[in-house]
Amino acid sequence: MDLFLQQVLNGLTLGSIYGLVALGLTLVYGILHVPNFAHGALYMVGAYVCYFTMADLGLNYWVAIAAAAVVVAAMSVICERLVFHPLRHAPPIHDKIAAIGILLFLEAVVQMYWGADFRRIASPYNQILQLGGLTLPAQRLLIIVGAFSLMGALHLYLKKTMTGATIVAMAQNREGAFLVGIDANRVAMMTFAIAGALAAVAAGLFAPINLVYPAMGHLVLLKAFVIIILGGMGSIPGAIIGGLIIGFSEALGGFYLSSTYKDVIAFVLLVVILSIKPTGLFTKGVR
Amino acid sequence: MTFMKTVRRVAVATALAMGMAGAVQAAEKVNIGFTGPLSGGAALYGENTLEGLRMAAKEINGNGGIDVDGTQYEINIVSLDDMYSPSRAAVNGKRLVQQSNTPVVFTPHSGGTFALQAFNERDGFLVMSYTSIPSVTEKGNELTVKIPPNFTDYVKPFTKLTMDRFGKKLGVANATHDYAKYWTKAFVPGWEAAGGEVVASNPMDYNKSADFYTGVSKVLSANPDVLFVGGASEPTGLVVRQARELGFKGGFVVMDQAKIDEVANVAGGLEAVEGAVGVTPLVYSDNPGAAEFVKLYKKDHDGVPTSETAYNYFAMFLVARAMEEAGTVEDAKAIRAAIPQALSAVSTNHNPYEVKNITDSGNLAVDVEIAEVVDGKVDLRKVSEIGAE
Repeated sequence: MDLFLQQVLNGLTLGSIYGLVALGLTLVYGILHVPNFAHGALYMVGAYVCYFTMADLGLNYWVAIAAAAVVVAAMSVICERLVFHPLRHAPPIHDKIAAIGILLFLEAVVQMYWGADFRRIASPYNQILQLGGLTLPAQRLLIIVGAFSLMGALHLYLKKTMTGATIVAMAQNREGAFLVGIDANRVAMMTFAIAGALAAVAAGLFAPINLVYPAMGHLVLLKAFVIIILGGMGSIPGAIIGGLIIGFSEALGGFYLSSTYKDVIAFVLLVVILSIKPTGLFTKGVR
Repeated sequence: MTFMKTVRRVAVATALAMGMAGAVQAAEKVNIGFTGPLSGGAALYGENTLEGLRMAAKEINGNGGIDVDGTQYEINIVSLDDMYSPSRAAVNGKRLVQQSNTPVVFTPHSGGTFALQAFNERDGFLVMSYTSIPSVTEKGNELTVKIPPNFTDYVKPFTKLTMDRFGKKLGVANATHDYAKYWTKAFVPGWEAAGGEVVASNPMDYNKSADFYTGVSKVLSANPDVLFVGGASEPTGLVVRQARELGFKGGFVVMDQAKIDEVANVAGGLEAVEGAVGVTPLVYSDNPGAAEFVKLYKKDHDGVPTSETAYNYFAMFLVARAMEEAGTVEDAKAIRAAIPQALSAVSTNHNPYEVKNITDSGNLAVDVEIAEVVDGKVDLRKVSEIGAE
């Protein structure tokens, strides 16, 4: 039983990080209508900003996460202004190519300045709680609590505030949103900023139990893609539930079946879900 | 307008200065090729190996280059990225030979070595392979030199040290790439032959796993005494750290790709890797050449050098001396044939691991030193002292 609960806990940790990254991706999808490949690079830059705020400026972990969120949100907005906004009338493939370009550019810049070395963010919370036979490192609990509170906050923001409602409206129907007088530029920048901040916070939360290196974004981005396809492109509950599905399938599948095949399990799930609901679990029916 | 004029004048002056500099140092150049991972997950490893070559080339050129039959040659390293892929390594090998005319190509992985061996004898270049897989030199390729010792030399001493100290139950939790599989294939039979048993086998993809908790807890649920871990140092450190967090008290056998000092940095200090056995980190070695090399490395770099850098640094000197001995910078066969003499021509300062011999098949041989973490300190022991032959 302990072993099972331990895996559930692992699944929650992974699922909440994947979910956070997928949320940003799904939000931006609502604006771009193509997956933003640069999202994984933003996640990676978030981890680096967090690392250097702590290591070089000697600031507190939470300050570092906040700094990462602000810097990456700004970068994300700059990407929107300089790259995606000028391409808004171009065919979707141009957005895709531009996004891949940003991804390669950011990775190369980071590797040029800071090298390919693995770095480690020291967690300020190194306590390990023992509950029966269950091992609960404090940082992992922090990830779960942090990620879910952020998701809750985002939900409230989108549902209860006017700006949030405009973001949802834009994602659902662009022309309709214009007709009721929504400022598309403002909403697009806002969405990119939120997506960037989410990626940076996810990186800041996850990095202390992992490593920081230029290629760290690939893996998480790949999972986030699976998640938004699984959950339905552009769907917010889809991103959260999808994140948990992938997290649990990795943890439980990896433990009870085989860690070698844990990714296979996630992809088999994807195939099964898509053959039953080809548009993903939570589709809005508008595209 | 005046600004443009100034720019033009500066440009002309620079061009003139460069032309003159070129005229002064009219030394001949010999290109040395390198193909290895310079981007992607293994970029750090590739950069480390390449840095060894660059350091050696800089030092050789700083001392006037190499003297081949009275002509001074400067060494120029031409490096290409193969992202760890054998097929790209083969393409790079062709490019290096055809475009840069390299008599020697270095590669830091077995896949790249095998790919280059398909045509190196025909195209006439020497492969300097940084990999410890024995089969690289067992296939009779006459133009291959394998730089580090065979990894199979470690199996018996690693087994003996950990089994005597912790027990006979082994859990396999290493990585899943080719090199790790070669290790598992050699290590598991060795462990069983020594009377041990494998209670759990759960290799994990060290590059593609976001987290090792699941895999590690699966192995630990079988209660092993010793964990067999390894892959790149830093992910290995995470595996060790998470095993300790989950309550593991036994020892670790660390595959030679990972270095105990780097593993400890991530795992939470040498206390966390208590009972680990692995290859000797360069900084702990008491060879005079090792100390010299660490000093040289620290002059221009942050942090400490790895064995990859040190071995390649030595190998570059070895090639340079072999060219001098052979009296040619073109004939790969003659360069290969001159390596035995070149070994004694490389000074101890340039030979951190005290490599003394080369076998006919192209293996550079050393008396292997092994590191064990005992009471939070690194103990060094020669294989012969352990008595596991």
